[in-house]
Amino acid sequence: MHPAPSTYSGVADVVAVLVLLTEFAMLRAPLLRSQVRLYAFQSLAVTALAVDIAATRHINELYALAVLSFVLKVVLVPGLVLRLLRDAEVDLAGSSVLGVASMILIATGVAAFAFFTIGSLHVHSIALPTTALAIAAAVVLVAFVLIILRADVVSQAIGFFSLENGVSVASLVVAAGLPLVVEVAFLFDLLVAVVVFGVIMRVHHGRTKTLSTEELDRLKG
Amino acid sequence: MPAILIALTTFPFVVAVATFFLPAAASRVLSVVSGAAAFGLSLALVPAAAAHSQLAVGSLLRVDALSVVFLVATTFLYGATAVFAGGYLHLADGAAGSRYGRRFYAGLNLFCWSMVVAPLVNGLALLWVAIEITTVISALLVAIDDTDGATEASWKYVLIASLGLGIALLATIIMYYAGTTVFGSAYDLSYTKLLAGAGHFPPDVVRLAFVLAVLGFGTKMGLVPVHTWLPDAHSEAPTPVSALLSGALLATSFYAILRYFQIAVRALGPTFPRNVLLIFGLASLLLAALYLLSQRDLKRLLAYSSVEHMGILAIGMSFGAPIAVVGVLLHVLAHAAAKGTAFFGAGSVVRKFATKDMTKIRGGIGALPWSGPMLVAAVLALSAMPPFGIFRSEFLIVSGGLSDPRDTVAAVLVILVTLAFFGLSWFTTQTVLTPEVTATAPGGAGAMVTPPKGEVSRWIVVAMATGLVALLILGVHPPAQLSHLLDRAASELGSPR
Amino acid sequence: MGPSVVVAPQGVQALQVLTILFGAPLVSGVISHVEGRLQGRRGPRILQPYYDLAKLFRKETLVTDQSSWVFLAGPIVAFGCYLIVPLLIPVLTTYGLPLGYMGDILGGGFILALAGFSVALAGTESGAPYAQLGGSRAMTFGALIEPTILFVVFTVAIITSTDLPYAMAATVRSSSSEIVRPGHVLAAIAFFLVVLVDTGRIPVETHSGTLEFGMIDEARTLEHSGSPLALLKWGSAMKQLILYTILINVFVAPWGLAASGSPGAVALAIPSLLGKAMILGCIFAVVDNLFSKLRLFKITEFIAAAFLLAVLAVLVFYAGGG
Repeated sequence: MHPAPSTYSGVADVVAVLVLLTEFAMLRAPLLRSQVRLYAFQSLAVTALAVDIAATRHINELYALAVLSFVLKVVLVPGLVLRLLRDAEVDLAGSSVLGVASMILIATGVAAFAFFTIGSLHVHSIALPTTALAIAAAVVLVAFVLIILRADVVSQAIGFFSLENGVSVASLVVAAGLPLVVEVAFLFDLLVAVVVFGVIMRVHHGRTKTLSTEELDRLKG
Repeated sequence: MPAILIALTTFPFVVAVATFFLPAAASRVLSVVSGAAAFGLSLALVPAAAAHSQLAVGSLLRVDALSVVFLVATTFLYGATAVFAGGYLHLADGAAGSRYGRRFYAGLNLFCWSMVVAPLVNGLALLWVAIEITTVISALLVAIDDTDGATEASWKYVLIASLGLGIALLATIIMYYAGTTVFGSAYDLSYTKLLAGAGHFPPDVVRLAFVLAVLGFGTKMGLVPVHTWLPDAHSEAPTPVSALLSGALLATSFYAILRYFQIAVRALGPTFPRNVLLIFGLASLLLAALYLLSQRDLKRLLAYSSVEHMGILAIGMSFGAPIAVVGVLLHVLAHAAAKGTAFFGAGSVVRKFATKDMTKIRGGIGALPWSGPMLVAAVLALSAMPPFGIFRSEFLIVSGGLSDPRDTVAAVLVILVTLAFFGLSWFTTQTVLTPEVTATAPGGAGAMVTPPKGEVSRWIVVAMATGLVALLILGVHPPAQLSHLLDRAASELGSPR
Repeated sequence: MGPSVVVAPQGVQALQVLTILFGAPLVSGVISHVEGRLQGRRGPRILQPYYDLAKLFRKETLVTDQSSWVFLAGPIVAFGCYLIVPLLIPVLTTYGLPLGYMGDILGGGFILALAGFSVALAGTESGAPYAQLGGSRAMTFGALIEPTILFVVFTVAIITSTDLPYAMAATVRSSSSEIVRPGHVLAAIAFFLVVLVDTGRIPVETHSGTLEFGMIDEARTLEHSGSPLALLKWGSAMKQLILYTILINVFVAPWGLAASGSPGAVALAIPSLLGKAMILGCIFAVVDNLFSKLRLFKITEFIAAAFLLAVLAVLVFYAGGG
């Protein structure tokens, strides 16, 4: 029925699926520290994808981008969040609204929706096989599920960062030739956003002495 | 011309850096000067933009009529808010007060700088970067008042707005992909290129990109259902920041949606983009009108009014008749002035009565002889009362809607706006147009004793007066150059014949 | 060369059943031995299961007063099912055998489910509380793992447009790119987890020992004794080998199968299958020692994870074209 793609595409697809699987693992991870490590692993997979494309399609700008995103997303961001966790000294385990199995089922349904939507677009890409675009969309939607269903600040922040990872994979698929300047601007923006997230997380912790968002329901209506 | 653009992009940033080091008194003056200068510069751009099709500096900056409209709105509010902030802020003495003052003014100027840059940049990618910068700075500003409410509001804001911008980034990338089918794989997302090639973009891809853009930037604009951060952030932020958020930032996000709308109309024809905007607009208007009827917090009331007006903007764009589009653009200008003035008045009331709870505030006219009536005027202006500018813009929108085959939407618009009018006016008149309370009646409604008569600060009065004057000008007789500018911008947004 | 003697297809088919029948206890023995070694013990003899079966056949059968014929029929029905399934799957050959078209993967799955059902029924019928506990748990988790199996079958169907296991094996053999396909990898891992659940290994259940609070499969057979118990033990070893065979010969490593009917090829296929099964068994033993048993209510998480992998496999194939 569907012919098998080349071995290279298959390997790239497997790495992309790994990105999606780490997203699902984040849904399950109860300890906040393991969520951060999962995010670091996911960013590593995305960097590997970028290096993969740079090597096979000879887009040299992507090397620079891969190095930058490695430093930023695998080293800096997890480091910052882990430091926040250490300073917080409390609430190492996040809380969630539903049980794990229910969350995974919802997330699976959402991922299926993403796959079918992208599949109906018939996108053709020079860089990555199109499965990767569907996977990127699924990562974005599952990140939403993560943010909605987890009730603590760090999980929600990690959810947002992993959504950016999904968008990065999408950009690798369809926009591998995006001018380097623009890509660096995106990354820089992410850094700034991370810093701001960190500041506000600390403010939140400073005020409420907890990392949970269950208190955040005073403003209603 | 190019010098003006460069000045606009650099001057506020330099001022922001400077205010971080200067004492509050100097920062106050410097901010006012900066705002007034920016407003003057953007007014200087109006004749040129109305006449030519675009002005560019290099490949990074570009203005056309559409950008200048939003630029004028933003810079006007920049200046007025700087004046207002000078009178509103009561800085404590000592190190804490000066630190707050420095952070506040630096943040204010930086925020306004980012909102000024957004209409000036050339290209969807840089536009996204500019709006992301506005998000991060405004998030810090919302959190600057160290209260429980501000902390909660700022977390919600930064999370939801960043999520929206993540979606918008995906939209940018998908639109980039649509462009690669025409331009090959390495090109910058500049407007001229995109508008030129839009006719050949694959329709399904553009559709997805447009919907994602409306969802993503709509989060920052306050479209239902992704508006949930808005009432919290706008009510918990310091009032000058609220004024800027409501009056200028929402408009800037709308500008981003309009850019995508421009491209989508050229690629898909007018029907689909208009329908998308109609759905979101109607939802926003309906929800805001309903919520307006049950508010207790003065600033939250005004925040929901902002959601209502954003809904009106979206519905106006969906009508498609050129007169409606002119109305929409005029509405952007008028709403900035009116919402700014209303927030200034609200700030004055809150400062005077030391509470935001409207059930407790009575006798505003007695306590605030200038800003009280002006607040009422501003709220009436928001409800489209003549002779203010919003009446003219909503009139244009409705008449554009009635000439559309789908004229029931215009009728629904009028009904919902009337509903919002009830909500807004009821509470505002309750707080302001009531006699003073000299002593707390036993078992009374909890209204507090009206404070003694006297304005909080004359700068607040000046700021509000400026806003009302601008509204009157826009409503009674907009300057000819401005009308030309609006016509030109409307034609840029329409589909090519 | 010599005369081209070909083993008749019916003979090969009978040989398949016999291989599974007699090879199953061997594979079980190897797994127990390796497990023991990994734990620092000497481990039981590799041929121990054969001795156990022989011993059990000699013992008398005790039946409770409350049970009826179902109690004795259950093990026999299960054993019969386990004898039928090797007819349907590629055990020794790459080509389909005559009776092999009686049922596809779905049919094979149905027969395996029937076997499990009859064992659980027999256990419940005996009236003993632990046996009922085991039976109900086994049926619950079996029902929960069914959707995963279905989706794995769908994966096969999407790639080959049939759900005959022979066609799938042929496709996997055709090129290296087939193995690396993410959908294929996901389906293989999902099926690996299904085998974990169905053969009752850690992290779902401790394979050895009788911890009542965690027993699922083992508890069903608590009340049986003598020859029925021998049939049950043999049947469960056969089920294990059948599942291993499906995993190996359909998904992971379908090499070493006889491509023609020549005696040499067929004779080579038997030890190659058993060897591959023993290696897989060692992998399961390592998994056994690496992880700890999940608490009972967390098994649903595990099953959800397996289901997720299977659904992703289908999605990646169907909607992604990969």
